Amino acid sequence: MRIVVALLSIVLLLAASAAPAADRVVASTLDNGLRVLLLEDHRSPIVSFQVWYRVGSRDEHRGATGIAHFLEHLMFKGTPARGPKQFARLVEENGGQDNAFTSQDVTSYFVDIAADKIDLVIELEADRMQNLLLDPKEINAEREVVIEERRTRTEDDPSGFLGEEVGSIAFKAHPYGSPIIGWMEDIKRITPAEIRAFYKTYYVPNNAIVVAVGDFRAPAVLEKIQKTFGRIPRAKTPPPVLAIEPMQNGERRVIVKKEAELPVVYMAWHVPNHRANDAPALEVLSTILSGGRASRLYRDLVYQRQLALEAGGDYSYFALDPNLFWFWATPMPGQTAETLEAELAKHMERLKTEPVTDEELARAKNQIESAFVFQEDSVHRRAALLARFELIGGYVQKDSFMTKIRAVTAADLTRVAGAWFAPERKSVGVLLPKPR
Amino acid sequence: MNARAGRTRIALAAVVALAGAVGSGPAVAAPLAHREVLPNGIVLLVAERPAVPIVAVRLLTRAGAVFDPEDRAGLAHLTSALLTRGTAKRTGPEIDSAIEFVGGSLEAAAGRDSLTVALSVQKKDFSLGLDLLSEVVLSPTFPAAEVTRKVAEIQAAIQRSNEDPGTLAARALSRLVYPSHPYGRPVEGTRESVARLTRDDVVKFYARQARPDATVVAVVGAVTVDEARREITARLGSWARPSDPPPSITPPTVAMTPHEETIKRELTQSTLMFGRRAVRQTEPDYFPLSVASYVLGGGSTSRLYTRVRDESGLAYAVYSWVSPARYGAAFAVSAQTRTAEVPKVVVMIREELARMTREPVSERELALAKQYLIGSFPFRLDTSSKVADFLAAIEDQGLGLDYADRYKERIGRVTIRDVQDVATKYFPPASFSLVTVGEIK
Repeated sequence: MRIVVALLSIVLLLAASAAPAADRVVASTLDNGLRVLLLEDHRSPIVSFQVWYRVGSRDEHRGATGIAHFLEHLMFKGTPARGPKQFARLVEENGGQDNAFTSQDVTSYFVDIAADKIDLVIELEADRMQNLLLDPKEINAEREVVIEERRTRTEDDPSGFLGEEVGSIAFKAHPYGSPIIGWMEDIKRITPAEIRAFYKTYYVPNNAIVVAVGDFRAPAVLEKIQKTFGRIPRAKTPPPVLAIEPMQNGERRVIVKKEAELPVVYMAWHVPNHRANDAPALEVLSTILSGGRASRLYRDLVYQRQLALEAGGDYSYFALDPNLFWFWATPMPGQTAETLEAELAKHMERLKTEPVTDEELARAKNQIESAFVFQEDSVHRRAALLARFELIGGYVQKDSFMTKIRAVTAADLTRVAGAWFAPERKSVGVLLPKPR
Repeated sequence: MNARAGRTRIALAAVVALAGAVGSGPAVAAPLAHREVLPNGIVLLVAERPAVPIVAVRLLTRAGAVFDPEDRAGLAHLTSALLTRGTAKRTGPEIDSAIEFVGGSLEAAAGRDSLTVALSVQKKDFSLGLDLLSEVVLSPTFPAAEVTRKVAEIQAAIQRSNEDPGTLAARALSRLVYPSHPYGRPVEGTRESVARLTRDDVVKFYARQARPDATVVAVVGAVTVDEARREITARLGSWARPSDPPPSITPPTVAMTPHEETIKRELTQSTLMFGRRAVRQTEPDYFPLSVASYVLGGGSTSRLYTRVRDESGLAYAVYSWVSPARYGAAFAVSAQTRTAEVPKVVVMIREELARMTREPVSERELALAKQYLIGSFPFRLDTSSKVADFLAAIEDQGLGLDYADRYKERIGRVTIRDVQDVATKYFPPASFSLVTVGEIK
């Protein structure tokens, strides 16, 4: 799971735009604090309408982990005006697709639908921003569903299980250490009253971003949003996340024994996020290590020496708080986790002393830029990308992102490798297969 | 680190499943693509999408796993994996470096029916991308060292996939649903069958199967028809058409006998997968069957989702789907539930299958299924890559460029009676095989 998740976030990360799109965004903040970003795209008669709440597992407390994700499930369980299955029914009978996801930082809902149905979606989303039923009976039925989801993602997925363990040892103070889906005991315990309070606190217009990209006229859509979302009163500013992860002073390690076919090794270092000057270099570093078959880890460990079945790395540029830089590898049969751990560490050490080649640097930058261009092909991705940049300080940052990436030098990479990848700041997880 | 959330639908894997819905546009829509047959037999499909400066190319050739000799399961898969591992001009690493230097991608993969080479590049790199694609298709060298390397890698990947209960269940179910049929064997083969494959097998297989008159090329994006024709002809026009007809096969039509199989694993949850034979898109029953499957287990308003997930909290995922291919089709239902509740979920699924055969669906259910299947289509064609996948798939499956319109029209005509008729044919619970993976006593 970790690997799939990591790849997903790379894709998201690369999701910015080389096209001069930002100047056409109609951006506005309603009186109640709701942020609205609208971008007309008339290529197809479709629209992607997305609501991003600035709340994720990062906002949770011990004992109530998983509450943000639990609430996301309940957002589909109806309001007084529209019963439990109405949201999905209305969307599906209009040929639309809806879904949602919860991350450490945000909870995002989207509907992709025929452009002439956008008013319906605006009404549905505005309704569930303020009027969610949260019927205790529905909550208890959905609790079982979330438990099943946890079994699928974590309990029965060796890599997912290991990733959760490594995250939890890497963070002592910051809530990034708890799993997004929550610990099983918390999912079982969380009460309807707590969920209601969480909803009232975070699902407020001044804590949300509405983004739409598609075949509409922005002024008309903005007017509709003002008439619906605009009526929701502003609420108290949700509490900030105060926790700061203290500097790690000593390697941490977890070994998991579970029924599995092959071992897995994870290594994770604390690194800064987008706010830091080192962030673009870390982004490039991650691409040099694991962007494609010409990348270092693939070419050396998977291809040339056949030590690993898979190997890669991942960095979360968009994280709201400093997060982890991940490395992973799955040893080939006959190879050990120990060998792969040593090889991954060697790659990291090499980056500290030996500059990357001009070709590697240029390739990584081209890959990042190209992914930006590909992203422009889908209205859904265009909308998600605007939201990602808005979350870290403003959608206009999208325009300067590639400039920052282009400015990264080989010397920057050597420097950030030296600055952030000290052995005493790493957490290591090893999955050792238990024979069946 | 984005955990996917609550209501995630299964992304139906088969591209052909995409062929399962179509546009809500005007009755006389512009054709999806330009189609022509080049002198050497290549079918060229071009769709111009000028707005974003990228191009997606899909080359499909009739070299899928269905053509694997019985004792050589995994041959098409191995062959496809080796295409980008060396050509007359470049080594595998050189190919990787060349395409990745421009931020593009070039991937080859085999499916049940066909082998696909997929190229995605920015428009400015179109020429380089096509050079690489044509080298890979016309002059692969299958270096011996790369064969050895890839065999080991595939064997390890097969071993690893045995950790995944969904994969285990799907493999076992294919075997039960398609007895004596090539679709009953895994596309990637088994560790044992892959061990037997040699470079000679690969070379012969590719020479026999990959030929211009069994190839479709779809070009979609910021290109014109003339440009696409010129560039494709310049590179693939010299690919000579053999004088003998393309290989064809007639898979045996052994009827499926329902079986139950249990695969024991130490897991907290069990995976259930029901399956049986069904029909492909060329059969009239396909359209009502698609509607019936949607009502039963297609989306988050379906009967199974409502009963098993929403009302009973017994599963996170519960779905049904039709899986059509060139030489056969299957219908399947799957769910994952905590092990203690397996018997209950099995009964629920059987009851809902039986109810579809016994009672007509409601007007409302029918309308919703049809509106969704027809109305959601534009989102299946909303990027150049998706359009290219779709075009190549409908051509390869012999459905015709008008399939999109035909599908919409056929779905639109489905009646309550039609749904019950296909349910009576395809949904009797006793006609299904069932695979369970988990800690079953």
